[in-house]
Amino acid sequence: MSTQNMTETPMVEIKNVHKSFGDLKVLKGIDLTVDRGKIVSIIGSSGSGKSTLLRSVNHLEVIDEGTILLDGVQVNRPDMKGLAFERHINHIRQNMGMVFQHFNLFPHLSTLDNVTLAPRKLKGMDRKTARELGMEYLERVGLAAKAEVFPSHLSGGQKQRVAIARALAMQPKVMLFDEATSALDPELVEEVNLVMRSLAKEHMTMLIVTHEMAFARDVSDWAMFMDGGVVVEEGPPDKFFTNPDHERTRSFLKKHLDSNH
Amino acid sequence: MELDFSPVLTYLPTLISGVGVTFVIAVVVGLFSVVGGLLVAVISIYTNKVVSWPLRFFIWLFMTTPLLLQLYFLYFGLGEWILIPALVVGVLGLGFHYMAYNADIFIATIRSITNGQYEASRSLGFGHLRTLYYIIVPQAFIRSVPQIGNNLILMVKDTSVLSAIGVAELVYASQYAISVSFRPFEFFIVIAVIYYVINLFMEFGQSRLERLTAYRR
Ligand SMILES: Nc1ncnc2c1ncn2[C@@H]1O[C@H](COP(=O)(O)OP(=O)(O)OP(=O)(O)O)[C@@H](O)[C@H]1O
Ligand SMILES: [Mg+2]
Repeated sequence: MSTQNMTETPMVEIKNVHKSFGDLKVLKGIDLTVDRGKIVSIIGSSGSGKSTLLRSVNHLEVIDEGTILLDGVQVNRPDMKGLAFERHINHIRQNMGMVFQHFNLFPHLSTLDNVTLAPRKLKGMDRKTARELGMEYLERVGLAAKAEVFPSHLSGGQKQRVAIARALAMQPKVMLFDEATSALDPELVEEVNLVMRSLAKEHMTMLIVTHEMAFARDVSDWAMFMDGGVVVEEGPPDKFFTNPDHERTRSFLKKHLDSNH
Repeated sequence: MELDFSPVLTYLPTLISGVGVTFVIAVVVGLFSVVGGLLVAVISIYTNKVVSWPLRFFIWLFMTTPLLLQLYFLYFGLGEWILIPALVVGVLGLGFHYMAYNADIFIATIRSITNGQYEASRSLGFGHLRTLYYIIVPQAFIRSVPQIGNNLILMVKDTSVLSAIGVAELVYASQYAISVSFRPFEFFIVIAVIYYVINLFMEFGQSRLERLTAYRR
């Protein structure tokens, strides 16, 4: 980012990342720096590699080339093997919250247990403390009243808010959102956006893949347009969304503003 | 023909001990086949071909041949080498037979869980094994309740096949009583009723468990 403070380690650094699925090159040298407390939106047409990039940050996709750092610690470690790497990546992932398009709540656990499972089992938190912590985060997403309910009895918007609470309960350094509202009925989008806005206010570092241009413009400090596995354009949202430099960005934005509103 | 149930009363202790043996076999085989089936399923899905192919072969073998034949193989086959009580052979034979059937079901239910569940767990920082333990296996188990329940109901009825190798379960116990009282039908009727009642209890338990887990799916 252009406003980088030289004395501080960036929260996320993506350097020259390449990724292929077989013969299909999906990421062709991506660079991105996200400073502490900043929010970066990633936009682009379907198949441009947005999800692959976000999943690479969490190491759900293994990149072929390049480096990804979280708070100065390298996420991908081609030099590490087997159990040593498993331990390393489990530790790294505890500091990253990931929110999926299809929520992926654990259906066999109550809402509260969804939120407290990881703190209890991974941080050794006792039941009582975990319960308090879980309730605190459910409160924050407005679902304390649903603590004992199971995911099958929640609406899509509620599910996604629980999924956010579940990720937050590990007190991550960064939150990754992959089209968190794409699977929702239109009337349920706002309640999730509201939670994300409240995180923004608290200066949570966030990487957001989204198709909602208005939201992206509003909430982010930096916007990035991907196409065919490369970054076509990036910049501060005011300029990016009103007066982009590249023709491809302009036509993408035009198409999406038309279809969204 | 007139029915006379008095011999059944006379030999009631024999029948009761038969029911006891059947019960013990059912419980042991039930636990063995469910826990074993789950292990076989997990191992055959999450390991390499060297391990999983032999496992699949044994599942296939147990599912495509008759239980009685499997028991004879075990009983007379093992009997060539070592002396094992018929009860142990019976429990092992029935156990492996239903372990194969249960494994087949667990394999299908584990496969039916979307990859998103695995990824969500991993993204929180859970390792592979903990993800299986806390997320995948419990969900597979819940999804398997109806079919595993059916298998267990079939299994209880199949404990009677063990009479063929001389295990003193309910049917075998009654055979002795029949041979001295000459009243086969009375005994058959009573035994059928006993199996029917056991079945009722099991179906009740199964549907309760299904209801208890329905909202966790
Ligand atoms: N596991 C995979 N195996 C093979 N190809 C894949 C895999 N994952 C993604 N791809 C391909 O990689 C390309 C980029 O996919 P990706 O999901 O990153 O796109 P996206 O920008 O997130 O698109 P969308 O807006 O539709 O979510 C697509 O062509 C997709 O088909
Ligand atoms: Mg995507």
